[in-house]
Amino acid sequence: MYVTDDGEELFVIDSHVHLWDASEENITHEGGEQFIQCFYDYHTGFTPEEKQWDLDEYRQYGADRMAEDLFGNAAVDMGIFQPTYLNDFYADGFNTIDDNAELAERYPERFVLNGRFDPRDGEAGMRELERQKEEYDIQGVKLYTAEWNGDSKGWRLDSEESFRFLEKCSELGIENIHPHKGPTIRPLNRDAFDVADVDDAATSFPELNFVVEHVGLPRLDDFCWIAAQEPNVYGGLAVAAPLAVHRPRKFGEIMGELLFWLGEDRLLFGSDYALWNPDWLVETFMDAELTDEQRDEYGVELDIETKRKILGENAAELYDIDIEAKKEQFRTDGVADDFDLGDHYAGGTSATPADD
Amino acid sequence: MSSEHSPSEHSPSTDTEPAAATTPAAVRERLDRVTDPELDTSIVELDYVEEIQIHPAGDEGNADRTGDADGDEVFVAFTLPTAWCSPAFAWMMAGDARTEVESLPGVARAAIELRDHMHEREINRGINEGLPFEEAFPDADGGVESVRLELDRKARTARQHDATGALLEAGLTREQLAGVTRSDLDFGDAPEGRVRVWVREGAVAVETDADPVERYLRKAEATGVLDDEHPELFRTPEEEPFDGDEVELVRQRTRLAGVNMGGQGTVCDALNDARHAEDRPPLSMREGTPVRPSEEDRADAD
Repeated sequence: MYVTDDGEELFVIDSHVHLWDASEENITHEGGEQFIQCFYDYHTGFTPEEKQWDLDEYRQYGADRMAEDLFGNAAVDMGIFQPTYLNDFYADGFNTIDDNAELAERYPERFVLNGRFDPRDGEAGMRELERQKEEYDIQGVKLYTAEWNGDSKGWRLDSEESFRFLEKCSELGIENIHPHKGPTIRPLNRDAFDVADVDDAATSFPELNFVVEHVGLPRLDDFCWIAAQEPNVYGGLAVAAPLAVHRPRKFGEIMGELLFWLGEDRLLFGSDYALWNPDWLVETFMDAELTDEQRDEYGVELDIETKRKILGENAAELYDIDIEAKKEQFRTDGVADDFDLGDHYAGGTSATPADD
Repeated sequence: MSSEHSPSEHSPSTDTEPAAATTPAAVRERLDRVTDPELDTSIVELDYVEEIQIHPAGDEGNADRTGDADGDEVFVAFTLPTAWCSPAFAWMMAGDARTEVESLPGVARAAIELRDHMHEREINRGINEGLPFEEAFPDADGGVESVRLELDRKARTARQHDATGALLEAGLTREQLAGVTRSDLDFGDAPEGRVRVWVREGAVAVETDADPVERYLRKAEATGVLDDEHPELFRTPEEEPFDGDEVELVRQRTRLAGVNMGGQGTVCDALNDARHAEDRPPLSMREGTPVRPSEEDRADAD
C-alpha cells in the first residue's frame, strides 16, 4: 500500500505486469531481438538513471526478482498479468500465461492471471482459450493486434473471426478485454494498433469491458473520442505514466485530457513491469499535479481521491476485488514476512480491529 | 529554425541562378522542411539527421558517382527513435528528404541512408532507386499515400486549434469563427507577419499573428479541405463544417489532437535520447542472433 505523509493509505493494483523471457536462447527471429532492444530504450529513456537495469538482467529477471520488485521494493499490493506471446519471435513465447502462473501460484492472492487469444489460431485458439479459463479461471485477456502470425502481420478487433472469440469470452465470463494499442510498428503501411477497431467491438459487446492499454498513444485523440461515446471503454496508463518523470507538464496535459473525456472511474494505473519498476513510478504518479492553468483548461482534478481510484479502485471494480477483504487477508499471507514489511496491513484507517 | 513545411506544401525552387556551391547549411535548411509526419515537426528539429556529406561535381574521390550528374552529390544519413518506427513513416521521411535536397539548384543527386531500422534495406534501396512503396514492400497492402493523408488530417486538426485560438483571442465571436472563409483572410494589406480577418460582411476586420493561420492553411490545402464545396475554412476532425454552438466541442477535439502529438513527441524524444546514449548496448544484431526465417519458412508456419 502506498501511505502518504498524512497517513492516508492507497491500495495499489498494478494492472499491467509481465514475467518475460527475452534471453538470447529464447529468440528465434531478429524481431525478437529488436523487440527487447526497443523495450530497453523505453526503459532507459524514462527510468531515473540510478534505477536503470542493465540489458542482460532486463532480458530475463525471473520470478523472485519480480516478487521483490513489486511487493518488497514498491507499494504494489496486487498485480494483473498481461501476457504477450510473440511466438514468431520467441521459441517459448515472450511472456505467456503459463510463465506468469509460476509466480501467481506462489502468491495466489496477489495476482490476477489474464490470458490471451489470437483469432488467426482458429479452432486450436478457441480450445486454448477454453483451457486458460478452465486451468486459471481467467477474467481477462490481453490482445496484441500487431502480433506476427505466419504471413499475417496483424489483425483487427472488429473482424468476424475476432468477434467469434469475443463471443466466446462473453460466454465464458471473461469480461475484461485489454487490447494493446501502442506505438505503430509493423505491419508496413497499415496501422495494426489503430484504435478504430475498438469502437465497433465495444458497441457490439456491451457486456465486456475494453481496457485500451497505453491509452492508445500515439492515438490518444482517436481513443478519447471513442471512449467518450462508449461507456465500456477504459484506459490503461502503462507508458503514459512514466512521462510524469521528465515531462510532468506533458503528463498533466495527457491526464487532463483523459479525465476530461473518460472521467476518473475509467483509468487504470499500470507500470508495465519490467519495462518500468513500480517503486519510483507509483511515487512519481502520487507526486504528479496539474498546473492551475491545466485545472482551468480541463476543469478536472488529479487529487488524492482521483489517484486512489486510478491506482487501485477502478481495477478492483473490473476484477471484482474486495479491497478491504484483501487487506485483511494480506495480514497473514506471508508476503509481509517475505519482504520484511512489518505491519503493513495492520491498518490505520480501515475499520477492521487490530489483530493483536 | 522555424520552418515546418513538408515538400507537399512547397512549390519546387524556381531559382535559376547558376549553382553556387552546395553548403551543409543549405542542405540542412531543406531537410528542415521534412517533417516526421506523425509529430508534424521537422526532422532537423527532432535531431534525426546524423550526417551530411557533400561531394562537389567533378569530385574524383566520389566512388558512387553515376557519371551523368552535372552537379553536387549529397549524402544524408538519418536515424529514427526506434528500429520499430513505422516503415511507412520512415519511407515518407526518406523520400521527402531526397526530394527536398534534390530541389537545391546545385545538387544533381541525393543519396539517403536510413540507419538502424528494421527495414532499412528495403527503404534505402526503394528511395534511392526511386521505386514506389509497393515495389519496395511487396507484402504491403498498398501505397503510403493514404497513410500520409491520414497524418496530414491529424496535423491539420492540431494546427486548426492554434489558428482558431489566435482568432478567438483577437476577438472573433464563435459564430464568426464557424463562418470564416478563405476569402475573409487578408494577408496582403496587413502589416508584416499579421493577418486580417474580415467579418460582418466585410465591415470590420480583426488582426492577429499570421503564422498559425498560414500553417493551418498549408495543411488545409494538403488535405483538400479548401477545395470542398463548403466555403468554411475550419472543420471538425471529420472535415465537416460546424456552427457557433459546436465551436467549444470542436476546440476541445482539436486541442486533443495537439496533446496527442506532443505526448508522442515526448515518447520519441526519450527513445531517441536512449538510443544515442553513450553507454547503450549495441542495437544491431548481436553475434549469434538468429536471422529472419525465409519466406518459405514463414509460409509453412501459417
